[in-house]
Amino acid sequence: MTDPWFECLAPCEALVPCGQGRHVIRWEAGALTLASHADPEAELVLAALGGEKARCVEVAQAWRRHAEDLSVLAIGPRGPDDAIAVSWDDVAAAAQAGGHGPMMPPSGPRAAPHRLASPAIPTAARAQARRHHVEEEMERVTQRRNDMLSLLALGYGFQVRLIGQVAQANADPPDEAMARVRPPLVAAMTGRLAPVAEAWLGIDPDQVVVSLHRPPGWGSVELTGRGEQRRLMVSLPASWLGRVWAAGLPLTGRHLVVAVARGGWPEARVLGLRAPGAEPVPLDVHAVVGPSGAGDVPHWEL
Amino acid sequence: MDREGAETYLRLLAEAKMRGALARVADRPWHSPPGGGRMGIMLVAEALTAVGALGTETVDDILADFDLAVSVRQLHDQPGAGPGMARSMPYRIAPPGTMHAAAVARWAAQVQARRSGPAVRAGWLVLAEPANPEPSVASGADRFAPVGLTVPFYDEGISGDMYLMSFVQTSAGARFITVWGINSTPAELGSGALFPSLIPLDLLTVTDDRGTRYELDFRPGSGLEHASEIGLRPAPPGDVRWLDVAAPLSPPVRLDLDSKTPDDPAAGDQPQAGQAELSPGEHLLLMLADRLLTVVPECLHRWRPPAAPGPEQAMAAGLGDIVAALEAAGALSPLSPVPAWLAALCACLGLGEHRIAAPPAPDLPEHWLSLLAHYERRKPDTAPVRDGYAGAAADLAELDGIGLAVLGLHNTEGNSSLHLLARGRTPESLPGKLGLRRDFPFSVWIRDSGGRWHVAQPAGWHRPGCESPLRLRLVPPLPRSTAWIEVLATGQSGEVRARLPLRWGYPR
Repeated sequence: MTDPWFECLAPCEALVPCGQGRHVIRWEAGALTLASHADPEAELVLAALGGEKARCVEVAQAWRRHAEDLSVLAIGPRGPDDAIAVSWDDVAAAAQAGGHGPMMPPSGPRAAPHRLASPAIPTAARAQARRHHVEEEMERVTQRRNDMLSLLALGYGFQVRLIGQVAQANADPPDEAMARVRPPLVAAMTGRLAPVAEAWLGIDPDQVVVSLHRPPGWGSVELTGRGEQRRLMVSLPASWLGRVWAAGLPLTGRHLVVAVARGGWPEARVLGLRAPGAEPVPLDVHAVVGPSGAGDVPHWEL
Repeated sequence: MDREGAETYLRLLAEAKMRGALARVADRPWHSPPGGGRMGIMLVAEALTAVGALGTETVDDILADFDLAVSVRQLHDQPGAGPGMARSMPYRIAPPGTMHAAAVARWAAQVQARRSGPAVRAGWLVLAEPANPEPSVASGADRFAPVGLTVPFYDEGISGDMYLMSFVQTSAGARFITVWGINSTPAELGSGALFPSLIPLDLLTVTDDRGTRYELDFRPGSGLEHASEIGLRPAPPGDVRWLDVAAPLSPPVRLDLDSKTPDDPAAGDQPQAGQAELSPGEHLLLMLADRLLTVVPECLHRWRPPAAPGPEQAMAAGLGDIVAALEAAGALSPLSPVPAWLAALCACLGLGEHRIAAPPAPDLPEHWLSLLAHYERRKPDTAPVRDGYAGAAADLAELDGIGLAVLGLHNTEGNSSLHLLARGRTPESLPGKLGLRRDFPFSVWIRDSGGRWHVAQPAGWHRPGCESPLRLRLVPPLPRSTAWIEVLATGQSGEVRARLPLRWGYPR
């Protein structure tokens, strides 16, 4: 389990409108590369001096900004059936809309109430400070929205790889950070494991209860109760999201894959459960690439 | 309090709503009835915030993620609804003023033109908020004294009554708490119109036992059902024993400021404070029950198309999730009887979609049963209670850091209002989807002299600050035959009871 988390993930590419053309952005071995931009850092300096910032560079910056952002797990896809189709036209339209438009959260900063008379100077100073704060907050929210749209526009392959990246970055936090990262990780694991469990056992996804397992060991999967009280109790490490789920491995050959024993693409050895409560067995699996030839959404077989 | 458990529950709830969307794309939960989708998350979030299990920043983060997750999945649901396209928002444009309001405003302007006095703001029920009284120097402890004095006035064809409910002296100053109405005016005003310029304040005199006469200033309430204040300047010294209040055509009334003896029937009982021994979750659920008992009966006789669920369905639909969330947050014991009471209450009110796991309790608290019995026997054409006002005042104990005092009772237009003063640092807050106010975290009930219970819900707040007069609406209204009331206010940490005699006055 010391292999890099992305061992079972094939490289993937996306075409991004950039300048007058369309450039390739490539993900490989956990890193994003811009094939058409030899020196992105220099381009950033030029952009800071007033030059136009290349879309590819913006996307790479957004990737870096959100590589540890747990919100990615709440927004991104829950599985192959959850296609999030964002086009580059959508990204451009949102950027033009600025801080307005339907994707601004309803719970965003509120306008200050109307005043009937001229406020006192301290009140006016407070109001100005509050307005400044609201503007900063709106700017932050707008940037976050535009970032997310850009990252989603890269397509499903990139979406799941970013999810894997974020999960891995938060998989083994110091004890004092656990209370902060555990709730979003548990929700993210539940949201992605529940539909897999439904396909595996036919169980109601609402009856899947996930907890975070901290190594050593792979964790546990047990079925308890009957009828409405039936629960599938799953305890897996957060790294499962990157190593197993993002690679498209979670349900392979009617086994729930709980860990990767020896990573690789397109051949790997995983640990799979035939049924809840059983001990995982090693399975040699190989990826079946779709008709497009891309490994974005691989299908694995025994 | 298990803050991590609370956050985990809310995130899992959001995840479940998303999962429902993926399972049935055509019936997305953010388009679902109240209790589902974002509304369901917000109800639980409000409950968890109210008990201190979650901060608003965490809630905002979770909702922002949920909103963005929903938005990106809806991008191509509707033709032309791209991310930069404006969509219709559920804003409601305020209807233009009615003919009645316009006529009243015109008339008020005419009156103002021929009178001097405080400025009139045109518009029905849209009057100036009471000014913040300047702190005045007053020796001695705070005073809360019932008055119960009707002051009739006649001036240039306009007549009316001003009723002094109570006298209050605190660090914010000395003032009478009043309600008032106008009897003979142009027909469109009716009685009880609120135009402060009509009050002939200069005809009223207040003199103390040393012959000192006080300047008076009028601070109107912000609506027909709100109390107004008449400030006294300077504030009476602490050792003043009585005040004489005199109005034209009425004998002066002496207001005794000395402490009442227990034998004095006007004194009422001393407030009795006690421990409430409620968990934060139980206290919250009891306040939600108060809301349900208030809201649901209002909806029983209101026309509504079958497909349009009302606020009571929204509240009830979230109760199961709220109970589970409070348990996950450690704010509610799984052994608490309150969820079972709530389930029984929902059953009594015909709200079947509450999803509370606990089976309905066989018994309910006495005050809930009293109110339910009232609804059972009420007929749609029951005559409303007649207008009236009752002098009553008492300094209740401090609950959860907020001092409460009773300032009076007031019946108008078929509604009863209990006027209170809240003192202490109360956070500025507007009621959320659950109708709860963080600045008034209390359950307040009134038992009348006939043994019937009335639930009291915040209905008006004059101003945020260290001293905030507020109005609670009583359901059901209080009949004028009530000789005394027992006020029961319950906070999370304790409760206080006070039995107060009522000194009723009536408009002529």
